Amino acid sequence: MAVVLKVLLILALVVVGLFILTFTVYIFNLDMKLTALIEPWLLKHYDKIERDTHL
Amino acid sequence: MKDLKHLYYFENLLQEANNELIRQAQEEGKVCVAYTCENTPEPLLNLPGAFSVRLRAPRTGSVDIATYYLTSFLCEYSRALLERAIEGGFNFADCVITPDGCSMMNRCIENMELLKTMGQGKEHFFFEYMEIPMKGDENGLNLYVLQCRNHILKPLAEHYGIDVSDAAIRQAVAQHNRVCELLRAIGEYRKGDRPAITGYEFHVLTLASYACPKHLIIDKLEETLEELKTREPLDSGAFRARVVLVGSEVDDLDFIKLVEDSGAFVCADRFCYGSLPGRNPIVLNDEEDALTQICRQYQQRGQCPRYMDTPKMNARREYVAALAKEYGADGIIYDQMKFCDPWAYEKMLGAHILREEFGYPVLAVDRPYAIASSGQMRTRVQAFVESIEIKKLQGGVQNG
Amino acid sequence: MAKEIGADRLGDFYKDGGKVRKRREWRGLRDTMYDYSRWLVIMGTLAKFVMKPRNVKAMFRYRWMANYLAVPMMVDRHTQGLRGEYLRMCHTEQDLIIDDVAKLLDNLFRGDRRIGNDREFSKKVVLVDENEMTAVMMGFPTLKGLSRETPSTYVSVLLNQHAAEHYIDLAQQFGLAGDVCPMPEAELGVSIDDDAPVLGACAIQCNTTCDGSLLGNGVISRRLEQEDGIPVFQLAAPLRHREDDVQEYAAQEIRNAIAFIEKHTGEKWDWKHYFECARRVNVATECRQEWLEMNRTPYPQVFGSNLALYTETNYMAICGKIPEFEKADRKLTELARQAFAKKKMAAKEYRHRAIIWGVQSHYYMDFLVWLLNCWGIVPLTDMLSMVSTRRIAEEDTPENREQAIYDMAWLTENMIMRNRTHGGYRVLLDELWEFTQQFNADMVILWEHMSCKALDGMHGLFEDRARELGINLVWVSHDLFDPRIISRQGVRDQINNYMRSVMREEPLDPSLEVLHDEESW
Repeated sequence: MAVVLKVLLILALVVVGLFILTFTVYIFNLDMKLTALIEPWLLKHYDKIERDTHL
Repeated sequence: MKDLKHLYYFENLLQEANNELIRQAQEEGKVCVAYTCENTPEPLLNLPGAFSVRLRAPRTGSVDIATYYLTSFLCEYSRALLERAIEGGFNFADCVITPDGCSMMNRCIENMELLKTMGQGKEHFFFEYMEIPMKGDENGLNLYVLQCRNHILKPLAEHYGIDVSDAAIRQAVAQHNRVCELLRAIGEYRKGDRPAITGYEFHVLTLASYACPKHLIIDKLEETLEELKTREPLDSGAFRARVVLVGSEVDDLDFIKLVEDSGAFVCADRFCYGSLPGRNPIVLNDEEDALTQICRQYQQRGQCPRYMDTPKMNARREYVAALAKEYGADGIIYDQMKFCDPWAYEKMLGAHILREEFGYPVLAVDRPYAIASSGQMRTRVQAFVESIEIKKLQGGVQNG
Repeated sequence: MAKEIGADRLGDFYKDGGKVRKRREWRGLRDTMYDYSRWLVIMGTLAKFVMKPRNVKAMFRYRWMANYLAVPMMVDRHTQGLRGEYLRMCHTEQDLIIDDVAKLLDNLFRGDRRIGNDREFSKKVVLVDENEMTAVMMGFPTLKGLSRETPSTYVSVLLNQHAAEHYIDLAQQFGLAGDVCPMPEAELGVSIDDDAPVLGACAIQCNTTCDGSLLGNGVISRRLEQEDGIPVFQLAAPLRHREDDVQEYAAQEIRNAIAFIEKHTGEKWDWKHYFECARRVNVATECRQEWLEMNRTPYPQVFGSNLALYTETNYMAICGKIPEFEKADRKLTELARQAFAKKKMAAKEYRHRAIIWGVQSHYYMDFLVWLLNCWGIVPLTDMLSMVSTRRIAEEDTPENREQAIYDMAWLTENMIMRNRTHGGYRVLLDELWEFTQQFNADMVILWEHMSCKALDGMHGLFEDRARELGINLVWVSHDLFDPRIISRQGVRDQINNYMRSVMREEPLDPSLEVLHDEESW
């Protein structure tokens, strides 16, 4: 019983931890702030790709 | 080279949308059918008792009112026509027939209708809009025939009692062909090292055939053809290069003049007011009705960029290349009226293909409706001519 | 931070010159948790997408894929200020569209010769235009009708206002005049830049929507046919679509298109599947009509950019083929009924009832949300949502099989936008004023997409008629895909100036009046 309770407690802590983490990302828009940093790097990469550019 | 006898007469006619020949034909009791776009089969507008006039707005000045209605983003051709209509310059027309060739032309005519610019005091006046095919296939032909029947023949018969029988259509084609044969014969004198007629002179004659009742100019075209047989040709060095002019609605005499004044002889006219293919005779057989045959030939020869199927698209560029070869052109000028969507694309791709695949030097330009004496355009054409000359000097390397 | 509608200063979420906003809204516990849960779902969709190596490979191959980094932000832009049923309606629409686009991308990369190169799959793909009703695919259950332009340009600009600029510039470098519509121009730029997936047994191009679109296709088809060996059928839908004497032509085009697909894919037209799709088209039509009925009352429910974006997707791209959209139609209707019964409003005050006409700016699709939040102008309906309401045959009988050809032709002719911009002045000009009356609107917001010649050509007559009828007509100019011509603030200023100088009003939310979002996605 104690083991089950312990597992449930750990699970609950994991869920709460995940919730706090993801909710923080969500409410402070951290996901978008991160991707905004990635975009310029990607654009530089696209400029380097060799392409068969023509009509 | 001596001036052509009737050139000044034709030039004067072209100074006015409502020229004296239109008035004369109307006094004869004929119905004036105004139209736009090369996709409108002309012989059907020239049935016995009717004559066609392709709308144009010579000596255009301000287009302010039309710009209010159409905005400055529509091509100046459509704005110039609407302005002229608002000014009352097209009141001579007894009806207007137009295909939905492009959005701008469609809107131009719709504005003419909604603003009640025409038809005052003309009991039987009407506007008709036609759907025309976008592909060169059988389905498109069926549409073409039906639309011509419903939007040209039917209203002409109902409103003005015009005879729209097969016999009447054949009669109209015969007259149409006479004009075409004359112009094509005159146009032959543009070929060769020493042409007997300039591109400008030829354009005046061709344009007159669109803007005047045909039966009233045939005699003068015949005389001109006779005159050309004995006319002293141009010196071989009179022009520095020969070019095919490709584009849409070039009804501005000054444009061809400017090109030729800049040293490029316009040896072939592949534009909507030109003779190639606009003045191809229509060959009829007796087995099939004339209407279907006319529509088929208009559909097959049509060079309008709105034809969207691959065979028609490829044929457009092949046709230009064939003309360049036939008329001995050194280069090609693709022109586009500013704000024209269809020709913006056609100019880009046509110029690319003619240059890269057919090896011709190509100049691609955009222009206003009335170009007058644009220094900018002059410079561009002069530079193009020089580039052709340099290539010739370098041993005929054409590409690049 | 408030539960009530309109309590927040929504402009405060923007950061001057920033690409993204400072934080997400607190909408009260229940709505915030709902929005958060939907955010998790979207993140799940994206995670599922990037789990596949081929999609990651595509991310590094195609420039336009970078725009998909902004997916969650697009949803945020459309949910600004929303609460309760409105928030749920918006997510129902947006999340489904995101899911659908993710599947489209996945399929494109699966068959793409450069990426997944699944040849058997590619043989079952028919490329279709972005601006094309997909009605001709309704009877091919085993084929995939995929649009390359939808994800590369259309959706990209919805996600990132600057997405098309690179391609527009490229097309102009190759000699295209700068005054054409930037939409086909950008599509052409993608083709020139060798930035379109290459796949498919064949392609169906269409002349909808406009001259520019038709001509742009001509250049794209050259590369498709000559280089990629993909045969192209050009489907010509008549322009004068209200005329009886063009319908046979339109129908024959449909027959020819179906025959072309059968020839190049080896598949046969399936009537059972067609009529199932047709039934769903009718469900979508009924639902849309019910929403529009509600919008005629003082309590409109499904309106604004959500109505526009959802209708565009559902009517044109889905065309009854995806069952999930039927579920969404029904769910949206249920939510709308609930809110209507409670006389709910999406903003704290409705000051003006507006019909949105013309072609909206793609780089500022959430402008209608702003219009509501900033000035209390309710966008009751928009031109792109006023599409065909004709019921199509849905029972499989010999007569209906013939009728179905005409139904598909009718739908194709009445593709979104072109059903108004083409077909004569009645559909663009006259019917606007009829709708204004039917919806009891006191204002018309007229998008003037400056490169759209069909719209520009009615400019003066719109002005004249509005003056005669005493309707407040507000012009909002833009260049569809290119915010460098008129920025988002430039778009807003046209409304701000009118509302202050002509209407003599103050904004509901002054923080939204000027936003420095030039660099924003």
